[in-house]
Formats: sequence, structure tokens, C-alpha cells
Amino acid sequence: MSDKLAKMRNIGISAHIDSGKTTLTERILFYSDKIHAIHEVRGKDGVGATMDSMELERERGITIQSAATNVEWKGYPINIIDTPGHVDFTIEVERALRVLDGAILILDSVAGVQSQSITVDRQLKRYEVPRLAFVNKCDRAGADPLKVRQQLEDKLGLNAVMAQLPIGLEDKHVGMVDLVTMKANYFEGDFGEIIREDEIPADLKDQAEEYREKLLDAASMFDEELMEAALEGTATIEQIDNAIRQAVIANELCPVYVGSAYKNKGVQTVLNAVVKYLPSPLDITNKALDLNNNEEEFITISDDEKPSIALAFKLEDGQYGQLTYIRIYQGMAKKGTELFNVRTRKKFKVGRLVRMHANHMEDINEAGSGDIVALFGIDCASGDTFCSPEMNVSMTSMFIPQPVISLSIKPKDKAAADRMGKAIGRFVKEDPTFRSYVDEESNETIIQGMGELHLDVYVERMKREYKAEVETGRPEVAYREAISQRAEYDYTHKKQTGGSGQFGRVAGYIEPNEEENYEFINQIKGGVIPQEYIPSVDKGFRSALDRGTYIGYPIINVRAVVNDGATHPVDSSDQAFQTAALAAFRSVYEKAKPIALEPIMKVVVEGPTEYQGNIFGVLNQRRGLIVASNEDGLFSIVEAEVPLAEMFGFSTVLRSLTQGKAEYSMEFAKYGKVPQSIAEELRQKYLKAKQEGNK
Amino acid sequence: MVREELIKRSPLRLLEQSIHGGVGAGNVGVIAARKGTGKTACLVHIATDQLFQQKHVVHVSFSGRTDHIISWYEDIFGEIAKKRHLENAMDIHDELIKNRVVMNFSQEGVTREQLLRSIRALVEDGNFRADVIVIDGYDFEKGEVETLSALREFAAEHQLTVWFTASIHRDDPTLNEHGIPASLQRFEDQITVLITLAPEGDHLKLRLVKDHEEYREEDLHLQLDPKTLLIKEGQ
Repeated sequence: MSDKLAKMRNIGISAHIDSGKTTLTERILFYSDKIHAIHEVRGKDGVGATMDSMELERERGITIQSAATNVEWKGYPINIIDTPGHVDFTIEVERALRVLDGAILILDSVAGVQSQSITVDRQLKRYEVPRLAFVNKCDRAGADPLKVRQQLEDKLGLNAVMAQLPIGLEDKHVGMVDLVTMKANYFEGDFGEIIREDEIPADLKDQAEEYREKLLDAASMFDEELMEAALEGTATIEQIDNAIRQAVIANELCPVYVGSAYKNKGVQTVLNAVVKYLPSPLDITNKALDLNNNEEEFITISDDEKPSIALAFKLEDGQYGQLTYIRIYQGMAKKGTELFNVRTRKKFKVGRLVRMHANHMEDINEAGSGDIVALFGIDCASGDTFCSPEMNVSMTSMFIPQPVISLSIKPKDKAAADRMGKAIGRFVKEDPTFRSYVDEESNETIIQGMGELHLDVYVERMKREYKAEVETGRPEVAYREAISQRAEYDYTHKKQTGGSGQFGRVAGYIEPNEEENYEFINQIKGGVIPQEYIPSVDKGFRSALDRGTYIGYPIINVRAVVNDGATHPVDSSDQAFQTAALAAFRSVYEKAKPIALEPIMKVVVEGPTEYQGNIFGVLNQRRGLIVASNEDGLFSIVEAEVPLAEMFGFSTVLRSLTQGKAEYSMEFAKYGKVPQSIAEELRQKYLKAKQEGNK
Repeated sequence: MVREELIKRSPLRLLEQSIHGGVGAGNVGVIAARKGTGKTACLVHIATDQLFQQKHVVHVSFSGRTDHIISWYEDIFGEIAKKRHLENAMDIHDELIKNRVVMNFSQEGVTREQLLRSIRALVEDGNFRADVIVIDGYDFEKGEVETLSALREFAAEHQLTVWFTASIHRDDPTLNEHGIPASLQRFEDQITVLITLAPEGDHLKLRLVKDHEEYREEDLHLQLDPKTLLIKEGQ
């Protein structure tokens, strides 16, 4: 069992757009599938397999659509998890990262470390995912993998060392020198499937010696045995591999591989590195939250005998209904056994269990700890944790970021309306940062998400996957309200005329709270408000926060303290105290000097230095605060904080200002105060809408 | 302590008194010292002091990453806030960083044109009204006098002050008759104020070498605290 587990790899492939993520993934599927296929054919008729063309292979259905694809390389099962490329899909990305044990970071040998490489690397760092770097496209004009290694060190702060050296670059790129074995590798056959090992070309010998020494130096920092052996010049391949593996798993070292996936060079050697150096589930500590114990840390153990814990990280609509991809952290998933969905508090039976391969789906009866498989026909949302019924732990915090942008959508016709509803239902389940509701006043469907692009993609998916044509309105920013000073309240809710009465008095204060969105503090002494009604007071405050009366948006960053009150033996009730707290809050809200807040995005623009002036200019025009700029010869990366409200249509403007040569990424940074003039506009708009609503 | 009080009590007021109220717009100040003696800390303290006074600062550096520089500012701000028991420190911090841009050049051998073009782009296109430009890690040994004169012109045009740090080579303590280290002698005319930083006993002492038109060897009665890396008063 543990041998199987020790061989398992759950990896992701992370990259900047256009660095060749798709090609590399396809090639990995191709080679692992091919090798597999060759064995199968040989076993049956004893004759070597003949190669069909890459096109045919594609027609046979190698797809990279599934969220996790299982391949096998040299007896090691590898689950390749698809990591969404764009930062707009924060939660999707984060969930995919969650289930990874290791990653291949692809870089373009010409462009080097680009803005998205920085973003994905930051995400990998946040989840402490060990990684290898693959410098792709070494056949391109201007390829310079050694420069890219330097950038990995300078820009990403990685302890990056070359594990290979390219043999020839640009159109002369034919193979690479393996710095561990000190052999040259060439890729032959129609699809580079045959690796020929040879002596290092004479003109590369010195360079290879130099870089091997660097690799040994770096690796032996983490292994005394290797350090001694290296000093004596007796280091064995096994010792080196061991040391590199330890260092990679500890996230202290990032070996750099080179090649060209498109030209079929270097893919297998990266796969070798994956099995040699990236961790198995046994090497990784995974933490869950114990819901029975105040969300305390709970370490999961990769052991099939323990009670089960699994995370549903991705939902997909398949031909046969909903597929739920799960990563098993502890115990097993077995057909016919019962699991418990921690969020919905419902039990369900595991029905059909499958493993996704490159070109087929395999029905299985069980899957063990560490594995990634898919369930059929389970009603759940992505991010849900499934446990054995006796457990109550969650893999994810129940915290989900609030959407920052909303968009009204209207179906073009009746048929589209039905399909739109279906699509939204699905998206909401898949992605908790995507939300939808019907606006009571305008009767329009509103969708909400984490950015303009985030919503664009869903609108596009409605069209493409659900054939639902919709018209979209103007995107609107999710403003917030907050208070800027402390205010005391003392409010009595009293309705004691006829029938059962209502009575509740609450007193205390509200004040700004930088640390969290809402905190309730009970300082009642001597039971002037009975314990049973304290939650009602809390609830009343919460309902007041749903919608502020300054600009009509939710209120955040509030601390509500209750320290006095009064009760009535008959007329006090849960409802009475809720109403009292709500009214108390509203009564002092103005006194607490409400302010308007807006989402501020961290925007990173990258482009040729010649356009730097334009980039500074366009950020400045959009109320952007330039935080830093970083120039590296021809390229310049500018970091800024820009209000989301100013980011609409940014990509078009940026493109036209820089002839399409600059690009940007953006993510939510924080809520910031809206300038007075704009706050006033929002206030007037809100008051006007309110007045019209009252007519 | 409130902000106004903190500004008033900053040891840098003492420095200003010694140099006729400051380096002055259109002029260049230089802090020279050996490698690893706290030049960056001094420069960041000077920049932070300007930020406290609601001035806009561009920090130019020539290192690999910008986040290192930003953490320098965080540390220096944190030490000042702690030492002075600054009220509303978080709010002031947030306000301060709005007026600071870090401009980093990671490539070796940045040309004069490139340096000036980028600063100009930020100040003019980016509409960043800089009052001070602090430049850390400029290589005076390889540098050209024209770079400094061009920067001075730019500084005069935009009414701003420029501060540099300069590394003095360990095995090259040659001073000329004015006490200017060898690597800076070519730039003598371009430098308005020159301060050196050198170890003396267990602390680092700031000395004034050039002050506008005058050359002197004056003890500024300022030193760099090796623990907090703040400039402080001391004998």
C-alpha cells in the first residue's frame, strides 16, 4: 500500500499564457499513453508497436479537458491536475492548488519570467507547493534558458539551479546534458519517443562541469552525506537524487529543466524529474479544520485504514451527469460506503467511482488515500468536504471572499431564459465566488463575481455550453459602507398595545473594526438581557449590516458591543430583541459617520519599456497609485493599486496604447475609501433610487 | 506622539540645521560609506522623514526585487513609530506609502537615457509630483558625471531634491584635499552635500564633508543606531 502511495504524484502544470502549457500537457499524455500502449501490444502478440501519427492520437481522444487526468510513467501513477490560468478565477485556482503535491512551472525561454509567472508562483508559494521549472521553447529565436534561471532567482526568489544544460539553442536545439548523470540526451524517432543517451559533446564539457558543481553545491546544502561525498568527488547518482529530492520537497530548491515540448524535446526527462524529485502524498502534511473543536488544525494522515476525508475540488458536467472530482486525504473512497457532506450535513452513498485517463474513463471500486478520482451523481458544491460519518472536519475554511463586481443579464428569448437558469445553477455550484440573484426592484437577474473577466467568462460559457444568448448591462462595483467613529446607542423597542406585546431594550456602542468585517461583543452583566436573547441581539445587528443607509451597500468593519439593556417577563422575545438591535443600529448609524468603500485591485502591468510612460499615464488617469516599477532592459513591470470602478475596459485601452504589447493581471487587494466627490455621487444616486422606490 | 511632533523632533532636523536648511531643490546630496555600513538605512530614513512631511518620494534602486526595498521602508517606519509611540500609526502608514514609488532597474548597466526617461515618465506621464528622488546603489565608479548633471537639470526643472548613496571601496580610502573619497572626486562639482558614514567604536558616525560651497570636516552629532538602523542624535 505505502509503496503504491509513495509512487503516487499529484502535480499541476502552471504557466503564463502561451508558454506551452497545453503542448506540454498533451505531450505528457502522449508519451505516457504511448509507452503504456506499447506494453499492451507487446503483451498480446509479442510484436513491437508501430507508431501512428500524432494527429490520429488526438482523434483517439487525448483531451486535457478533465480536471484531473491519470497517467502512468515508469510505474508511477501521476494525476495531472488542471490549474486554471487566469488570476480572475481566484477560488478555482486556489482549490486546484490545494490538491497538488507538486508542480511544474513552465517558462518561455525567450520571454522568461512574465507577470503571470509571478502570480502563479506566488500562489504556489502560498500553498507551499514544491516545484520544478521547465524552460520551454528552447528552439525559438532568442532562447536563453540561463537568463531565465537568473530571473527565477531574481524575480521569484527561487533557489533555482540548472539540472540540465541545453545542447544547442534556437534551430540548433537537439537535446540536453543531464547534470546528474553527466550524459547527453537526444530525442529520436518520429515523435522523439526514443531517448538516446550519449557522451557530452566536447564543446559543452567545461560548461557541464561548471554547472554540475553548482547543482551539487546547492543540493549538498541540504544533505551532509552528499556534501562529504561531493568534497571527495565520490558523489553517486543516488546520493545526488536523494539530496535534490529532499531539498525540492522542503521547498528550498527548484531544479531547472530545458527543452521544447513542441519539438518533442525534454518532455520525458521532465517526467523523470517529477517521479524522482516531486513529493508523494506521504511527503506532504495536509491540514484540515476540526469543526468539533473550534476549527482547530487537524492533520490528515495518508492511511487507507483511517476514517475518510476527501475534498470535492471541481465539478464538471459530463455526458453521464455531474462528475465530482475529489482528492482523498485520509482513508478511502469505496463504492457503496457512506460519506457525509460536512457543509450540508447530509449523508450520501458512494455510487459510481471513476478514474479519468487521457482517452478513457475507468470504473473503479475503491480509491485510497492521496488519490484523485471522480464521483458520479453526488449533489454537492465545489469545495465541499466529505468525511466518514463519524468525522466532522473540513478541508477548507468556511470563509469565501465576497464578490466585488456585479452585472445584470437578460436572456434574449424564452428558450434562452430556461437555459440561462440552468447554466447559472451549475456555475453557482462550481464556483462559490460566483453568485446570482434577482433584483427585487428591477426584476433583473444579477450575477456577481471577482472581476470583469470572471463574469465575461461565465457569460461566454452560457453562450457556448448552454446555448443561452444573453444581453449584459453595465458592470457595477460592489461598494461597501463602514463607520468612521464610535457611537453609543440606547434603544427600546416597545409594542405593547393589544395581543402579545414586544419589548426589548439594548444599549452599548458600535465602533470601527479594522480586523474583521463584523464582531459582536457581549458585555452584559447581571443578566439584564437574559442569555437566551443574546444571540438575537447579534442576529439583529447582522441584519442591519446587510444593507447600509448611506449608499445602499452592505456594511463592513464594525464592532458591535452590547453592555446594557432591559427585558420584560412576558413581552420579550427573540424577535423583539432582533428588532431592537436592528433599530438601535440604524438609530446611531448616522452618528457613527458612515463612509463609502470601494474594492481596490492590485494591478500588475507588464510591457516593453518604451511604453512605460503610457502605462504610468493610464494608471494615473484611473486613480491608480503606482507602488513600484521594475525594469529589466527591454521590459518593465509596473505594480499599482487601482479602484475596480476604474478598471472597466482597461484591457482595450492598454492594448491600444501599447500596440498590444503590454498585458496585465489583477486581483482584489482590499477595500479603500471612496473619494468624497464620488461618495457624494453614490449617495445622491442611492437617495434618488430610494425616493423613486417609495413612490 | 502625534505626527507634527515627530517631525519636529526628528534627528534629521539637526542635519538640516547643519546644511543651511537642507540640500535644496535642484541639488544633489550623497551619503558615502563602505559596503554594508548602513547607507540604505540612512537613505530610507531620510526618505521616510520626507514622507512624514507629506512629500512625494521616488526610490530608485538597482537590485533584483522591489519587495526588499519595500520591506526596508516597513522596518524603518515600524522602528520610528515604535520609538516615538506614534498615534494612529496604521493610518499614517497607509497615507505615507501612497506618496512613495519604488523604481527598480534589475538589468546591469542601466544607461543615463534609460534612467532619466523612466523617472521622467513617472513624474510627467504618471503625474507623480515627486519632491525627492533617492537613488540607492548607483555605481559611481562606473558612472558618468553627465548622469549627475542631467539629473540636476531634471531636479531643477521639477523643483526636487536628489539623494544618492555611494559605495567607497574598502582598499581605496584616498581622500583629496577636501576630504572627498577617490571614487567621488570626479563628481565633486555636482555634489551639493556630502556626508560620510564610518564606524567609530561600536557605532556608525555621520560626518559632513561638503556643505554647498563649503568644505568642512564636521561632526554632525548624529549616528546610526546599529540595532534599529535609525539615525539618532549622539556624540
